[in-house]
This record gives sequence, C-alpha cells and structure tokens, in this order.
Amino acid sequence: MMAKRKISLNELSERVDLTLSNLSILKTGKAKAIRFSTLESICKALDCQPGDLLEYVSEE
Amino acid sequence: MSKRSDLVFKGLHVIVWIIFVGLSIEAGGIIVNFIYSLFKPAVIHHLYQKLDLSEMYARSQVAYFAMYTLLMVIAVMKAHLFYVVIKLMMNFNLAKPFNMVAVAQITHISYYTLSIGLMSYFARETTRYLQQHGFEVDKLNQFWGDGQAFIIMAAVIYVIASIFRKGVEIQNENDLTV
Repeated sequence: MMAKRKISLNELSERVDLTLSNLSILKTGKAKAIRFSTLESICKALDCQPGDLLEYVSEE
Repeated sequence: MSKRSDLVFKGLHVIVWIIFVGLSIEAGGIIVNFIYSLFKPAVIHHLYQKLDLSEMYARSQVAYFAMYTLLMVIAVMKAHLFYVVIKLMMNFNLAKPFNMVAVAQITHISYYTLSIGLMSYFARETTRYLQQHGFEVDKLNQFWGDGQAFIIMAAVIYVIASIFRKGVEIQNENDLTV
C-alpha cells in the first residue's frame, strides 16, 4: 500500500505521528496488537481500508 | 508516589546490605571457629555465639563434625541468599521491572530459600535425634529455628516469580502494541 501511494516509511511516520521503530514493527509483522486509533490514522494517511493493511494467515 | 517508592527501594537496599554483612560475618566466624577447632580442640568450649560443643566432641566426633558442617552450610547459604537478593536489587529497574532476568533471579531466590528451609528442618530433626540420645544440643537450635519461615518465604517468592513471569508476557505484548 505504501508503494502504491508512493510514500516512504519516514513520511508515513510523520503523517500518523508514530515512531519509525513502531512502524517498522508493524511493517515486519512483529506487532502483537494495534490500536484502532493507530489503524484509523494509517488508513487516513494511505487512503485505504483496514482490509488493505491486514491479512489473516492461518498458523497451520 | 514514584519518588516515595524509589526512597523505599533505596532504604530496602541499604537494609539488605546490612543483613548481608551481618550474615557474612556470622558465616565467617563459624568457618574460622571450625578451622581453628581442627588444630586446637580446646576452642570448642567457646565457639561462635558462646556455643559449647565440647561434650558432643568428647562423646562423638562424627556427631560434632556433622552438626558443625550443617551449621556452616546453612550460615553460608543464608549469606549467599542475601548476596543474590543484592544482585537482583542492583539490576532492578523500577521503570521497567518485568524482564526475564528478574524472573530468573527471583525464581532462583525462591529455590534457594526453599533449600535453606529444608536444610534447617533437616538440621532441627537431626538435633532432636541427637537430643534423644543424650547429647546436649539446646544451644544449636538458635541457628535453625527459622526453617519453617524460610519454607513459607520460598512459597511466597515463587508466587511473586510467577506473577513477574506473567508481567513479562503482558509487558512484551504492550511493547509490541502500536
């Protein structure tokens, strides 16, 4: 989604007011949970839906 | 509130150091007495804290060495326990207390405390056995009268370690929540 909107991690972190390390945690899939407020601000910055950012993968 | 808890923590640290020094002196005194008694048995009349095991030594040297070894081991273990507590307190970060190092150290303290409790219980039972066989052992009980307290303390510390383990999980989850 970041590539589609041609936005870098630095720029996104400025727009959503999240640190680079937190964004990196989210990007690399290491995050255990995400607040709705964070999800909302990222969707707003990238002009997309939560479904565009989240994907369910079965642990099997 | 955080300044107050910092002050309490520092106060506890000082107290733990004082107890550690006291226990180290006791353990050192007991060990020195033992080594000295090997070369000069006359000193067995006046051991650490006015302990007189001369009668036991005269009746059975095995009993004397067994009881004194128990005495030394328990004294050293108690001093070492407080050393481990000091190490934990020195590495403890009140701002972020839940980490695996603290959990490991607290678990180690609980096992160690349990060992001291069991050792003290064993020593007390041995003392009782010797007393039944006519040995004069009343003054030895002062060194292991607190065995049950150590066992209870071990259980409480184990519960605290379990809580800390859960705290680490919750803190990790919190750290990885964006």
